Amino acid sequence: MAIAPEPLVVEGLVKSYGSVRAVRGIDLSVRAGEVFGFVGPNGAGKSTTIRCILDLLRPSAGSIRVLGRDPRHDGAEIRERVAYVPGELRLPERLTPRQFLASIGRLRSGFDRGRVEELAERFKLDLDRRIRSLSSGNRRKVSVLSAFLTDADLLILDEPTGGLDPLMQHEFLRLVRERRAAGATVFLSSHILSEVQSVADRMAVLRAGKIVAQGTVAQIRGRARQRVEIWFETDAPSYLATLAGIGEPEIDGRRFSAVLIGSARPLIDGLAGQPITSILINEPDLEEAFLGLYEDDPAGDGDSTEADR
Amino acid sequence: MTSRAWELLTVPLRAARRAGLVWGISLGILIVLTVAFWPPFRDQPELADIVEGMPEPLIEAFGLADFNSPEGFLRGNLYAVLVPLLLAVAGVLLMSGQTASEEDSGRMELYLAQPVTRGSVFVGRAVGVGVWLVVIGLIMLGAQLGSNALFDLEIGTDRIAATIALCVLLGAFHAGLAAFVAGATGRPGLVLAIGLAVAVAGYVAIALFPISEVLEPWRHASPWDWALGGDPLGSATEWWRYVALGAPALVLTAVGTWAFSQRDVSAA
Repeated sequence: MAIAPEPLVVEGLVKSYGSVRAVRGIDLSVRAGEVFGFVGPNGAGKSTTIRCILDLLRPSAGSIRVLGRDPRHDGAEIRERVAYVPGELRLPERLTPRQFLASIGRLRSGFDRGRVEELAERFKLDLDRRIRSLSSGNRRKVSVLSAFLTDADLLILDEPTGGLDPLMQHEFLRLVRERRAAGATVFLSSHILSEVQSVADRMAVLRAGKIVAQGTVAQIRGRARQRVEIWFETDAPSYLATLAGIGEPEIDGRRFSAVLIGSARPLIDGLAGQPITSILINEPDLEEAFLGLYEDDPAGDGDSTEADR
Repeated sequence: MTSRAWELLTVPLRAARRAGLVWGISLGILIVLTVAFWPPFRDQPELADIVEGMPEPLIEAFGLADFNSPEGFLRGNLYAVLVPLLLAVAGVLLMSGQTASEEDSGRMELYLAQPVTRGSVFVGRAVGVGVWLVVIGLIMLGAQLGSNALFDLEIGTDRIAATIALCVLLGAFHAGLAAFVAGATGRPGLVLAIGLAVAVAGYVAIALFPISEVLEPWRHASPWDWALGGDPLGSATEWWRYVALGAPALVLTAVGTWAFSQRDVSAA
């Protein structure tokens, strides 16, 4: 299986709707065989970028190469080797998942029936109930199956875990790792940092139509912010506020709270020997995690876009 | 035909099955119920006399001439206004439902993400609607011929077949118009507005324009005039009438397909 060195390259992508610029100049390149996280809050332009990659939207400027080809001209040939889970889930209501998957299979090189059963089993999806009567989580499974039943070299997944319960999200991430191990490249968009962090090799952070950070997950993670709360048996020691990586410190009797930026090591070292009753480090939401990144970026001035309509 | 092309046709055929059958069966029932009134009508000539007493333009507008003959009865009750109008509406609704509505709701996106061209997805849907219009026509033909036999309405099968074919082609013309607007804009509201406006305007042109000397020549601009201007129930139909309706249906669909391939697909 010959895979071009970079299955997905986006250069200077701009997409405007009238006067609204949903995507304002994106450059990224995804390497063969990696899981690439595409992270940003809702409305940042993730879906718009993805729909340009699939040739559902026509870019206002910039270029896209998918598997070495231009989606504008070779869309059908490219999609032979690309599978897609859309962010907005709309399926034919009157079909059952089995009928729908068979239909998609006939538009591709066909789905193996045993594999359909096996994946349905893994995701606990009833293949014979009409899609109309399925919950949003079960609909999501149908769409995930339609992508993972293919032998695509590039999987483009737009917020694929929305509506899935934690157990199923876990199963989904296992499936992503399996496909990577089998040589596929995965482009995974999400607004949940922990999800991307647990499975991606590299990632880009998108904000208001621009990429504000791109690199390995560890690099990006090092720039993220977390909220820390610590309770002590006695009054909280004030020197904690001066430790490296601590921002917005607040001491309220026995409680210390702050924002932790980058490595947790200075804080953990500084806490050694202290009479601590409990520590809480919250998974930050994306807005908070990358507040710093957004503030560095002149484009992140809070103007909202309609990108993820 | 490749299995992919076949699937692209099967998807809309299946999706429009309920709507197509409802249209076909409803029109069939309308035909049977109407023809059921033929025997009492035929046996009461005074009813026809009432029509004869109406002003000429009114008779013209509603196709009520020769109301007590079999062809006059069918024309006045079914094929002057009601059936062609319903088929035009069916053409617009079915096409809009399979193209613009599917796109607008986001249901088309998963198909467009497969290894098929946009154009082939769109053509598959247009052809699917065309097939359903033909099926509706066949159901109507069966209902008309069956009820003619049942209620002793004597009229040539060729005249019935030609009339229904022209009405189906009028439906196809409006479906083609709907495909054109859907392909160009992807907006279901606009497809319905333009499609239904053209259907009604076309009827007004043949029904009311003849009353005015100034407007009279313009009746020939109406697709309704191309379809029914030759009185297909009363006399043999010229071949060009089929072409005049079928060719624009195909051209409008082709242009709509091309336009659909050029633009952004709507997001859900």
